[in-house]
Amino acid sequence: MPSVNVVNGKQIVVENLGPVERTIRFFYRPFGQMWHHRDLIQAILRREVAERFKGSIAGWVWAVVAPLLAIAVYTFFFAGRLDLPREYMVTSGQNTSYALFILSGIVVFNFWSEMAFRAPMLLHEYVHFIKQTIFPSDMLAVISTLRATLYTVISVVVLMVFQVIVAGHLPWTWLLLPLILIPFVAFLVGMAWFLCAIGAFTRDAGYLMINIVPLFMFATPVFYSQTQLPPPLDFWLYANALTGYVEVMRDIMLVGTLPNWQVYAWTLFTSIFTFYFGYWFFDRYRNVIVDVL
Amino acid sequence: MSSSTYSDIVVEAKHLGKAYQLYARRNDWLKQVMFGWAKSYFKPFTVLRDINLQIQRGESIGFLGRNGCGKSTLLQVICGMTLPSHGELRVSGRIAPVLALGSTFDLELSGRENVMIGGAVLGLKRAEVQRKFNSIAEFAGIGDYMDQPVKHYSMGMRTRLAFSICAHVEAEILVVDEALAVGDAAFQRKCLDWIDNFRKTGTLLFVSHSMAEVRRLCTRAIWIEDGCIREQGDPSEVIRNYHRALLVEKDDVHRFSAAR
Repeated sequence: MPSVNVVNGKQIVVENLGPVERTIRFFYRPFGQMWHHRDLIQAILRREVAERFKGSIAGWVWAVVAPLLAIAVYTFFFAGRLDLPREYMVTSGQNTSYALFILSGIVVFNFWSEMAFRAPMLLHEYVHFIKQTIFPSDMLAVISTLRATLYTVISVVVLMVFQVIVAGHLPWTWLLLPLILIPFVAFLVGMAWFLCAIGAFTRDAGYLMINIVPLFMFATPVFYSQTQLPPPLDFWLYANALTGYVEVMRDIMLVGTLPNWQVYAWTLFTSIFTFYFGYWFFDRYRNVIVDVL
Repeated sequence: MSSSTYSDIVVEAKHLGKAYQLYARRNDWLKQVMFGWAKSYFKPFTVLRDINLQIQRGESIGFLGRNGCGKSTLLQVICGMTLPSHGELRVSGRIAPVLALGSTFDLELSGRENVMIGGAVLGLKRAEVQRKFNSIAEFAGIGDYMDQPVKHYSMGMRTRLAFSICAHVEAEILVVDEALAVGDAAFQRKCLDWIDNFRKTGTLLFVSHSMAEVRRLCTRAIWIEDGCIREQGDPSEVIRNYHRALLVEKDDVHRFSAAR
């Protein structure tokens, strides 16, 4: 079978598949690609991780210092100034409860904002690879999300240690963390696919994100809880998909209860939808993107 | 493949053409993507017009032509980096493009790390690259520079490393695009010897402005002009006609204009 088979600008796929098989293939394809390119993903991920603290002596210490600094600053400034809902008072001290509450929101928000800032410029960063080698450009969104995941996991570990120190114990629901972290990673990969495709066409996508990401910090329940908002605002806050992730994370990490199943279902829906919509969008324009960059 | 004649043809192009889309304003791309079905926002800039080509397994093809005639675009299309806009193309076999691997090097990382990345980009497994690493380092012959950041390399050293990686990919079709021009004579000879050896089993597509190289390496020369094949056949013959044409035809300043 030819490895390249093109007629009139269209890739010819030789298999004759019915609609059901085609749908299954579509859902399976991103994972098949990731598995196929696993060595490439690993090689570039290593480079990306090394690049983050390039020329730094302290290196990984910075990844730990950042969340610690956040704890200190937010505890200092917000202690006693905001009302904390009763269920989030997980430690005896009010200040440490605030710190945990805010940090758990910040972890989610920083993860998202790192991707939102970077994704529009992602293909420009790798333009040499895309234009001069046979490069699976769809894997870049996966690689950059994996790198961000690494830093998020470090922050989560810092949070865990801090919680053990100030609260004395961890709720068992901490074990459920992968059940929300994995959908969130999928959500971000999908978002990165969409944003990097748009960003290849116009740099405005990057400038837009620089302007709206800080605003989202207030449209996401980082410093407050959605239960504190008056209706109908508390409902509409879920239109910002991050709200659901923040709430579920806090439920399982701080409060120690199972999340509201409706909220969890909503986060699963946004995750799966964004993942496949992003992949579909990127795939649709990938051949055009090579010529635009 | 059941039919032996079919499997011997590794590259087949019929009426192949590539037109880039030239936009007056940058953001017209976006309009084209969104409303392209209703109206077109670009001027087509034809790089390849009508390429008909059949390449057999084991052939070595030298592509000649002036800057901007479409040689590199043709090779990019054959490699599958960019899609042709019309015509048919069939390629079978593992392709390794030695187009500009050196330009993908990360300047801050060492040669060693770049070998790992470059190998992965060319489709090698991590274990394979590690196994071949000593051989790659030996072929490149840059000694202790291997562990220095690539930003301290000279252009020639980058080319050495890049070619050395490509030489270890075990490709069936090797695409070399003026990659050897910056190496010194000794390294060029090493590369040419390697290519000579490669030709026994693989297919070579070769772009060069050095006619001596083309004459030495190629079994067939293809002269591309203005996006079409002007002449092909015996290298000496084609090179002679090409040289004659270069003397007679002036360097036309309107060659790169879209309005044709």
